Amino acid sequence: MNNQSRRDFLLKTGYGLGGLALSGLVPGAGFSGGGFLSSAMAADLVDPLTPKQPHFPGKVKSVIWLHQHGAPSTLDLYDYKPELVKLAGQEVPASFLKGIKTSTQGGLGKLYASNRTWKQYGQSGAWFSDLVPNIAQHADNIAFIKSSVTVGATHDISILKLNSGGLNPGRPSLGAWVQYALGSANPDLPAYVVLYNGKKEPSGGAVNWSAGFLPAVYQGTAFRSGKSPILYLERPELTAASQQNDNLKLLKQLNELKGLAYPEDTELQARIRAYDLAERMQTSAPEAVDLSKESDATKALYGLNDEITKEYGTNLLRARRLVERGVRFIQVVTGPVDIDGDDRDWDAHTKLEENHGKHAKIVDKPIAGLLTDLKSLGLLDSTLVVWTSEFGRTSWGESGTGRDHNAWGYTQWLAGGGVKAGTTYGSTDEIGLQVADKSQAVDTYDLHATVLNQMGLDHLKLIYKYQGRSERPTVVYGKVIKELIA
Amino acid sequence: MNKKLYLAVIWGLGGSMTGEAESAVDLFNSPVAAIGSPAVAAEGNAAAAEIKAPEPVASVTPVAADNKMVADNKPEAAEINAAQTTKSKLWSYQPVKAPAEPALNNKTWVRTPIDAFVLAPLEAKGLTPSPDADRAAFVRRATLDAWGVIPTPEEVTGFVNDTSPEAYEKLADRLLASPKYGERQARRWLDLARYADSTGFQNDNTRPNMWRYRDYVINAFNQDKPYSRFIQEQLAGDELWPDNQEALIATGYMAHFPDNHNSRDLVQRKYQITTDITDTVGKVFLGQTVECARCHNHKFDKISQKDYYSLQAFFANLSAVDNIPVAKKGEAERNYEAALAKWQEATKEIRDKQKAIIDTVREPALKHHKERYLTDSREAIFKPNSEWNAQDRWLNHRLAHVTDERSLAAYLEDVTESKGNHKDYSPEVVAKWAEYDKLTEELKKFKDLKPASGSSEISAMTELGHADAPPSYVLFGGDHERKLDEVQPAFPEAITDEKPLIKPTAFSSGRRTALANWIASSTNPLTARVFVNRVWEQYFGRGIVETVSDFGKAGQKPTNPELLDYLADNFIKQGWSVKKLHRDILLSSAYRQSSAYREDVAKADPENKLLAVFPRKRLEAEQIRDSLLVASGKLEDKLGGPSVFPPVPANLGAGNQWEVSKDAHDFNRRSLYVFTRRSVPYPLLESFNMASAQEAHSKREVTTSPLQSLTLFNSDVVFEWSQALAGRVINEAGNDEPAQLDRLYQILFSRKASDSEKNILQKFLNNHEKVVREKTAEGKFAVSIPTGLKGNQKLDPIRAAAFVDLVHTVTNSNEFIYRF
Repeated sequence: MNNQSRRDFLLKTGYGLGGLALSGLVPGAGFSGGGFLSSAMAADLVDPLTPKQPHFPGKVKSVIWLHQHGAPSTLDLYDYKPELVKLAGQEVPASFLKGIKTSTQGGLGKLYASNRTWKQYGQSGAWFSDLVPNIAQHADNIAFIKSSVTVGATHDISILKLNSGGLNPGRPSLGAWVQYALGSANPDLPAYVVLYNGKKEPSGGAVNWSAGFLPAVYQGTAFRSGKSPILYLERPELTAASQQNDNLKLLKQLNELKGLAYPEDTELQARIRAYDLAERMQTSAPEAVDLSKESDATKALYGLNDEITKEYGTNLLRARRLVERGVRFIQVVTGPVDIDGDDRDWDAHTKLEENHGKHAKIVDKPIAGLLTDLKSLGLLDSTLVVWTSEFGRTSWGESGTGRDHNAWGYTQWLAGGGVKAGTTYGSTDEIGLQVADKSQAVDTYDLHATVLNQMGLDHLKLIYKYQGRSERPTVVYGKVIKELIA
Repeated sequence: MNKKLYLAVIWGLGGSMTGEAESAVDLFNSPVAAIGSPAVAAEGNAAAAEIKAPEPVASVTPVAADNKMVADNKPEAAEINAAQTTKSKLWSYQPVKAPAEPALNNKTWVRTPIDAFVLAPLEAKGLTPSPDADRAAFVRRATLDAWGVIPTPEEVTGFVNDTSPEAYEKLADRLLASPKYGERQARRWLDLARYADSTGFQNDNTRPNMWRYRDYVINAFNQDKPYSRFIQEQLAGDELWPDNQEALIATGYMAHFPDNHNSRDLVQRKYQITTDITDTVGKVFLGQTVECARCHNHKFDKISQKDYYSLQAFFANLSAVDNIPVAKKGEAERNYEAALAKWQEATKEIRDKQKAIIDTVREPALKHHKERYLTDSREAIFKPNSEWNAQDRWLNHRLAHVTDERSLAAYLEDVTESKGNHKDYSPEVVAKWAEYDKLTEELKKFKDLKPASGSSEISAMTELGHADAPPSYVLFGGDHERKLDEVQPAFPEAITDEKPLIKPTAFSSGRRTALANWIASSTNPLTARVFVNRVWEQYFGRGIVETVSDFGKAGQKPTNPELLDYLADNFIKQGWSVKKLHRDILLSSAYRQSSAYREDVAKADPENKLLAVFPRKRLEAEQIRDSLLVASGKLEDKLGGPSVFPPVPANLGAGNQWEVSKDAHDFNRRSLYVFTRRSVPYPLLESFNMASAQEAHSKREVTTSPLQSLTLFNSDVVFEWSQALAGRVINEAGNDEPAQLDRLYQILFSRKASDSEKNILQKFLNNHEKVVREKTAEGKFAVSIPTGLKGNQKLDPIRAAAFVDLVHTVTNSNEFIYRF
């Protein structure tokens, strides 16, 4: 294939003008030499997911993005505020409210402390509440961001922003950017997988793992529960494997025959290869999520032996198996649980005790198990685990038993490859409402920049040209938080 | 009554205009959410009396000429005659000029002026165009492009055997006269309108009226509505033709912004909605990335932040109104109302009881609801009506728009759950909530009675009957809380010196009329260029300007500027007739060329920018599904109506966001009628690069992935279509296998199978029969056989199953999924 037809191919298979190839992801690499292109030449060029080199050697190969859907109160998990306990029941002092817009439903509630006990763990002495005793065992593996901020008073906007950086739908999710930048390390599986709890997709659905303006091939693939994780993975009901195999042979023959008239047409060739890949995926995807060969000890580690933790634990064990198989980005979304007759996610406007009691129980053991397992398998160094949510919750109570949304100061954490384990970056004020030192505020863009950095990607150089504009994952914002990196 | 303006009646302005009082839609006390969505329909309305729909206007005939107000706003009256001068030297801002026809060697190739402009650069490069495609390939190509589906074998032979000299003209006219043309063209326009039947964001509520806009677009293309009028109706139909329901529906173009009803920041919401509309208009009509100037002056184009916010100002007074009653009810409305009435009757008692409960706490509940909004929103919400300014009016309408009975019930719930902490807490409130909650559960039992789709109302964008607009400002860094200088509506200075001619009407600011007239003006340098280029892209797979929505500096330059200007100029001269534009392309030699590979072209013009070869193209998602439906004989050929929910895979997990239609006829409608749920893209189409409804979608990308292969090869639905196609082939070709293979190829590829193909297929059948037999020998006796067989066909089930597999495989082949 000559350069021109290769270029033609790239255009048609979705790199587009100004895509990776032209924006020079590999510094100095032109079309005809160096970097990923030479490997692409050697490999089958007919795949937009061909593996590509990062900007610089990355610390990790995979990211597990643990989205705590509904926004947990990190004040009741990690961010210990003795002052809040002391002031509980009093009005919020005006000085703490400076610069923020609030709702006054039911009157701006009085400061609220839940019924927690707190302890310090590990060498680092990080505080954990009694809700997360298992995660606490990993105190020294974790780097806390206690100065997280974001935009938006509703889940809608903030979840969108957490996943894609956009306040309106239309931007690619972080996983899509990663897939676009690095391609797939395992052609037999999607490189960007979404796992969720419950029978239903997370609210907002596919928008949460959308490719946005990137070619659709980079969007996340939602893995369903059960044996067959991908839509249309199973053969039609009455078609035997032998039949399908025979059919595919015929298909290849027909396509090759037609292709004789179009010898240079890489797009037609790509379609032939796509059927080969699809056939392999039919075996590799179910195998990737099949836990039957996992030991009882491993299953117990993830809480699969307990009804409460079984579903989330299954997702996390699947996530580990996907990491082992080279999947780049695994987005795990928590699901709803029955709180006093209603299906609720972490969104505890009321009944925080019951809500967080249940949700923490569901995730605590599996997440701790995941970290333990990754470590013992030697995978933690090459995997980044991100515990994240769209925002946190207020220091004041709502309806007396819950907390409202807090976009001004909350906790997220990182663990794994290249992370400065056992540290804490930033802090909130004495009542845990706003970031104490605004210069240390970590917005979602900064989190994205930092995650990309760990994968060897410079968020400023990861460019896709869309409608004349050079788009990047962090819009026009973002900085790598160096203090979080070892 | 007939002479009254439809909109004026709705806004209760009838009195002010005619001296009579009229009943009107109460915009501020009649929550749209309670009446607009079937999900909450008839749960009563939040704060006040029952909706009093205006008496439907009996006629939507054009307004009487003696109506001064409207006459003033007629587009002809506002036609701009002044020549425009431009400040920027950018090519696309220069006036469109009819280019001189180039001198050519091979004049015989030129069938239309298009060909002369295509041929000139080819000759300059020493290339010759390709010979005509054979007629069968051509009719498949043209039918797919014009209709979005494959032709029937009869349509193919009809054309192939037509020996008259006007065969091609007859074909083009036949294609353009069919309603299928409008369906196909509408789909691509809906991409640009970010069309969806839901709001997006987490809740992704149904927008039950949007299909009327979809049907409006289909009709506009089928009636060959001049593109200029099409623009005016979509941007300012409510101002320009206030008596015309179609024009009101057309403003739905602006109503497709993603929305989250539960947003607690109404001020931000207004800004985001206005931003969405402005950016969409800039991109779609003008091919300008104006949004780049929202946070800072445009980095490439001479569009300043001031220009950007001046453009936003045209939409400053614009509100979404979803509860305008349909004036003339048709079958769809009658069906919907009949279905809804059944549900209403069955649930009346429950709903009355709920209403009675809310009535006891309506005032504190409404206050409680209002308190959930953020500081600056609350300032407007708690202001007395008499003190409202235009911005307050917008915010309060928005509040009513998103408030429903359930929002008020939240008061009972919240107070109850406070377990004594709320000041209103009492055993009575707890009891009321328990009762209300119980009634809600009871109501759920009647869910299946409710119409899942359809409506009897219109969603439109209007200015709520007021001419005064809120002020607009330049916003520092695009942050709506950091206002800089105030701006007035104005056109981008780099593009034109012209100033908008704004004449307020009794019920609207008149701003959008000024904008629409400028965009639709024959002197606007961008509008016609941008549109003809989009149509060209549809036919040739690549625009003359490759960046179809960016005619700015960062976009690509036209590969053939003379051709672009010829098309644009001719388009305007032909009265903005879209059909004439399509016809010119369909009849050109350029479009008639063969797509066969040519080594000389591959060397001289590897990207085929000069079009010496016709570019083959993968079918778009809808073309694939709709053509499969045509092939299987299962297409439900019905035009328009509420969107439908065909079956989706059982493990999709969409829950109640995708309730499969009860009527099986809905399963096989054309794809543009499939409900567009923003959070649940229809899985059968999704992997084939269907449009994303999150923002204006300019181009159908082509990517190739294994997920596409899985979809087409494994979907039970597609497989059933293959079974039906196998049955159709046997019905039409009889029991002779070679005849069957020919028929299959005629249906799918518009040609007979070649000898070498027959050879391959026959060998496959013989071997595959054994494969199937072996499978049944293993004890799995069930096989998939052709369906829909007529008469007493004596088929060997094993051989028939092998044939189904053959058919299914052929439908998966490249020749089907591409048009050459």
